[in-house]
Amino acid sequence: MSVTILLQLVENGLVLGAMYGLIAVGYTMVYGVIQLINFAHGEIFMLGGFGALTVYAWIPGVAHLPLLAALPLMLIGGVAVSVVVAVGAERLAYRPLRTAPRLAPLITAIGLSLALQQVVSLWYRLPGGVNAKGPVSFPSFSGKAFNLGGVLVQPADIFTLAAAAVCMAGLTWFVERTRGGRAIQATAQDPDTARLMGIDTDRMIVLSFAIGAALAAVAAITQGLRYGQISFDMGFVAGLKAFTAAVLGGIGNVRGSMLGGIVLGLVEELSSGVLAHFHTTAQYGQAWADVWAFVLLILVLLVRPQGLLGERVADRA
Amino acid sequence: MNKASKASYTDSAARGFRRVRGHVDPRAAKALIAVGSLGAAASTFLAWTWTAAFPGDLAVYGYPGGNQLITLIVSILTLFALGSAVGASGLTGTRWLVPRGRVRLLRGLALANAASTWYVLIAIAWELGGLANLVAGAWVAGLTVLLPVVGAYLLPKDVRAPAPPRPAPRPVQVGVIFLVVLLGLLVADFGISTGYAEEFIGFCLAAGFAGRGLAVSGVFERFSALTARNRAATGCACLVAAVLFAFLQTSDAYTTVADNILIFATVALGLNIVVGLAGLLDVGYVAFLGVGAYTAALVSGTAASRFSGVVLPFWAQAVIGVLVAVVAGLIIGAPTLRLRGDYLAIVTLGFGEIFRITMNNLDGQSGPQITNGPEGIYGIPDLRIFGYDFGQTHTILGHAFGRFANYYLLLIAVTALVVFIFSRVNESRIGRAWAAIREDETAAEAMGVHGYRFKLLAFGLGAGLAGLAGTIQGHLTSTVTPDQYTFSASAPPNSAFLLAAVVLGGMGTVSGPLLGAALLYLIPYKLQFFSDKQLLLFGLALVVMMRLRPEGLIADRRRKLELHAQQSLPAGEQREAVGTDLQEVEANA
Amino acid sequence: MFRRHVATLGALAGVCALAVTGCGSRAASVASSGSSGSGDTVVQIGVDSPLTGSLQAPGQGLRYSAQLAVNIANKEKEVPGVTFQLVAKDDEATASIGEQNATAFVADSGVVGVVGPMNSSVAQSEQSVFNAANMVEVSPATTNPSLSQGPNWKTAPSRPYKSFFRDITTDAVQGPFAADYVYKTLGIHTVATVDDGQTYGVGLVETFTQEFTRLGGKVTVAQTATPTTTDYTSVISAIRSSSAQLVYYGGSYPAGAPLTKQLKAGGLNIPEMGGDGNDDPTYIRTAGSAANGDYATLPGAALTSLSTAKTFISEYQAANFPVQYGIYGGTTYDATWSLILAVKTALSADGGKMPSADTFRSQVEGAEQNVSFNGVTGPVSFDKYGDTGDRVITMYKIQNGSWGDGVYSAAFAG
Repeated sequence: MSVTILLQLVENGLVLGAMYGLIAVGYTMVYGVIQLINFAHGEIFMLGGFGALTVYAWIPGVAHLPLLAALPLMLIGGVAVSVVVAVGAERLAYRPLRTAPRLAPLITAIGLSLALQQVVSLWYRLPGGVNAKGPVSFPSFSGKAFNLGGVLVQPADIFTLAAAAVCMAGLTWFVERTRGGRAIQATAQDPDTARLMGIDTDRMIVLSFAIGAALAAVAAITQGLRYGQISFDMGFVAGLKAFTAAVLGGIGNVRGSMLGGIVLGLVEELSSGVLAHFHTTAQYGQAWADVWAFVLLILVLLVRPQGLLGERVADRA
Repeated sequence: MNKASKASYTDSAARGFRRVRGHVDPRAAKALIAVGSLGAAASTFLAWTWTAAFPGDLAVYGYPGGNQLITLIVSILTLFALGSAVGASGLTGTRWLVPRGRVRLLRGLALANAASTWYVLIAIAWELGGLANLVAGAWVAGLTVLLPVVGAYLLPKDVRAPAPPRPAPRPVQVGVIFLVVLLGLLVADFGISTGYAEEFIGFCLAAGFAGRGLAVSGVFERFSALTARNRAATGCACLVAAVLFAFLQTSDAYTTVADNILIFATVALGLNIVVGLAGLLDVGYVAFLGVGAYTAALVSGTAASRFSGVVLPFWAQAVIGVLVAVVAGLIIGAPTLRLRGDYLAIVTLGFGEIFRITMNNLDGQSGPQITNGPEGIYGIPDLRIFGYDFGQTHTILGHAFGRFANYYLLLIAVTALVVFIFSRVNESRIGRAWAAIREDETAAEAMGVHGYRFKLLAFGLGAGLAGLAGTIQGHLTSTVTPDQYTFSASAPPNSAFLLAAVVLGGMGTVSGPLLGAALLYLIPYKLQFFSDKQLLLFGLALVVMMRLRPEGLIADRRRKLELHAQQSLPAGEQREAVGTDLQEVEANA
Repeated sequence: MFRRHVATLGALAGVCALAVTGCGSRAASVASSGSSGSGDTVVQIGVDSPLTGSLQAPGQGLRYSAQLAVNIANKEKEVPGVTFQLVAKDDEATASIGEQNATAFVADSGVVGVVGPMNSSVAQSEQSVFNAANMVEVSPATTNPSLSQGPNWKTAPSRPYKSFFRDITTDAVQGPFAADYVYKTLGIHTVATVDDGQTYGVGLVETFTQEFTRLGGKVTVAQTATPTTTDYTSVISAIRSSSAQLVYYGGSYPAGAPLTKQLKAGGLNIPEMGGDGNDDPTYIRTAGSAANGDYATLPGAALTSLSTAKTFISEYQAANFPVQYGIYGGTTYDATWSLILAVKTALSADGGKMPSADTFRSQVEGAEQNVSFNGVTGPVSFDKYGDTGDRVITMYKIQNGSWGDGVYSAAFAG
């Protein structure tokens, strides 16, 4: 197999990993502050995609704009839907259970995840009555791919990488340089002391949910742009992968989640791509990609359970 | 709404009602119940509508049918309950049965009758398009079922302390247990073989309200005390009732339903060991069912199997199926159970997904040819145990047992085995170790409980039981395909449904998952219009249950204390609960 | 005292139990003697398909197409003295539920035969139940060859269940037909194949590959991609490095459309060809201009080309059913009609008088084997495996954003 193909696989892996990283931030931040695996985060991601699609399809005129002009509007729509649902879930479902045994919020999260998927599948409609029981079309860039010495880079790939870079830079700045960010860190480290220091920990928890949801919505839009469609059940696998990325990078560690995402994306693409080239006919290619991702998770848990960059979680128990 | 204002509003309403109640002679109220119930019973012999278009044909005079039967039975039951309440303090002896008072029971039954009957009347008017479709009998029924409700709520509330249990001779105790269990069988049979949605909804309304009446009046409490003292007899009674169910069936139509419920319930019970007893959240549990089913299918001798030359007897299939499932459980559990508890949830979720993908890929094209990929392993032959061919119809005691009735009998045995294992383990040192880990692992470790080992044991045991159920499931459906084992689907068993059955039924109990599985299976099966929205409703139910009643429909006492740790229980209840735990400890010592 | 009360309660409970069972038999007797107002015998035909869940659109279309056939048979008095009734059950595309429905159909002595199911796995679990009762099951939608020709259908086909019929061409015909077209008509000798890892898609690609290599063509890349991710980047990079001139896709349009879109975005201007799973307007809507030049096969003559089919479409539209007839509408109508004709034959052999349910079911089974008529999708008959005798397949090509009326249509011997 040629170097060009290898480079192409690396490019694919980077883009895929950037998307995983964006979703993983939500898991990692929420886990950092309340030690909850927010199973419904995959659905928050999915809802971001549908929020953006709603702006595109239902607001008159947006569909006629050039896609680059419509994107900011779609971003606002997607982020708004995701944040509202995530914050609502926190207030109505998770907060009352904060002192309950661990099983209770986890089961609640699974219930929410099921319910949110079904709400979209049952009642989401596009203009013309097209329902969302199957995949629905998402606008995508019409331009040609850029050819960098044989490696094709799609316009959507550039958007994904740019969005991930901007989001991560902004997030790092926020977490490390601002009062709010440091308050979140303090809450994650020791909620009781943080409260004694005058930090409104409830607000910090809501803020973590909101930031995670916003980045997930951005990720959903990049997925829609790349594949040209979104579906009500896309949050399940994406959420599973993103959580793996979060553990890989070190749970609670914001930079780690992006690193974990990129490592996971590269492993997935390279493993399936390289194996696909080993045998041209009978192969262990793309069909096994999810399996390799999962095997990676098990290996990480065995060898380095604290993740690549180390976890940052206060032990609640 | 503001909590305080809500409370004061209900307070004043209750005060007003109490004032009215004070002026009514209890005898008049009881007469009202009697007249109403008699009238309702009589009305079922009249036609309720003019056309046979409403399912169950309620246009017949002289014979109650369909939903009328429910009204008739509940009316008769109300009369019984009333009969035992004759006189100022009720018939002596029967107080023993209803420790918390009969008035609560009467209210429950009256509400059951009213809800079920009014539902049918509204359904007739709705489906046939207008009140004109209700004929005289319906109006009689509608009015008379209301009288007992009024009467029951005019009766003074029971304020007496619960009557102390009276020791009855052992044969009587056993007799009562058998009687109650057989009655339960009749109720369950009625529910399973309801022919149409209206009858099933009427049944659920009646059974729900009546059950609530029985629960608050303490009948269940008394009965469970009775069963606790007569374990062996209760076990026998349940087994006899379960076998009798097969004798009540005239065709395989409802035995198939019962088979599927039993598979679902057995697997849910296995999951309950993992989730309810050990407190480990496994959200990919259905994969272990799949492991068992695939293993058994591969060595069952079907032509579609990769190893079609290998034909093992069922016991060997079961052993191998269980072993492979246990090994799979240990592979998943060993690295994960050492870590934070919640990692297990995501790893099992992943495993559930990976299992399906792997089975799909082992098709000779994306991987080695082992499972036939998406086509699955089909044509799995029927079981044969000691020469008893499950595919043939056998006549036993004059009753023909078809293919599904044969499997039903086998599944009853397997369910009994799982129940046995569940309760034995729960009451042993292992069960107490699990409880300790579940509540506070650090403290448990400090007390010398080896947390990791016990968690791994729970995980392996759960996987093995699911694998066992799987070996039978493969033969029952005669095909094993990857898409039967997903995280969520519109039909059970799948991981989401299993978890819902355990959580809704009651974590840590035996009867909880059984009831949960039966309900979760029957509701979508009977109400086809509902199956579209069931996943949504089950998802919401999980959220709501965790908030309001995390212990499930059937509460395990110890569990309830744990789950409500932050909201202190009423002092009396807490003392009582602690008391039982002490008793348990004493009994175990 | 206590004992006496228990005894009375017990006795009364017993009375109740008797009342329940006694009254239960009344309900049953009323149901079985149910007849239509005209005094006709009522014959029930079962339909089993997914009525809920992700496959409900084609499943509901299947149910209503069967309903249309029954309505027309009743209106035109196709079988004198008989009124047909449809009993629809939802199998939720799940094997165990399908099996449960099958036993319910078998237990209902009014049902003579069943149309369905839609999914191969459901059919696998239903077949033995129907076969034990000698009850005809005609599937208008399952295309897996092993259902009718046994697990060794490639080498030694043998019919496992004599009660199973289907009037849709199997993957074993659709795949080779496409291979033949690609090799001979398009003159393309190197292709790549992609499947979605599901029964239908894998079967399609397998049979395509077999025929294509037999003709002398070369499959340079064969890939499986799970339909949930719709991420084909690694698949496409593998195809790019080969010299494939066409991609043959086994799967359904939700994953097939993104594939063609990503193919063209990846700089590969080669057409994608699929089976009936790709043949859907949504394919074009999702893929946009990238879909132009793509192909798909559909079993049966083009529905719009036959006059019988035109009648079917207009009658279906006139009946105002809540959903479209979908891709299996035509075959379902024919399947139901074949059952109706089998009932007619069996009944006339009995001299117009219905024998017991068991006897009648096996008579209908015998009659079904010899049914032959001109249906909505062309001539309908069954071969020795219970497969359709009609093997006409149509190749469609997307031109100017539309599937058009088909570029090539022929019977294929296989």
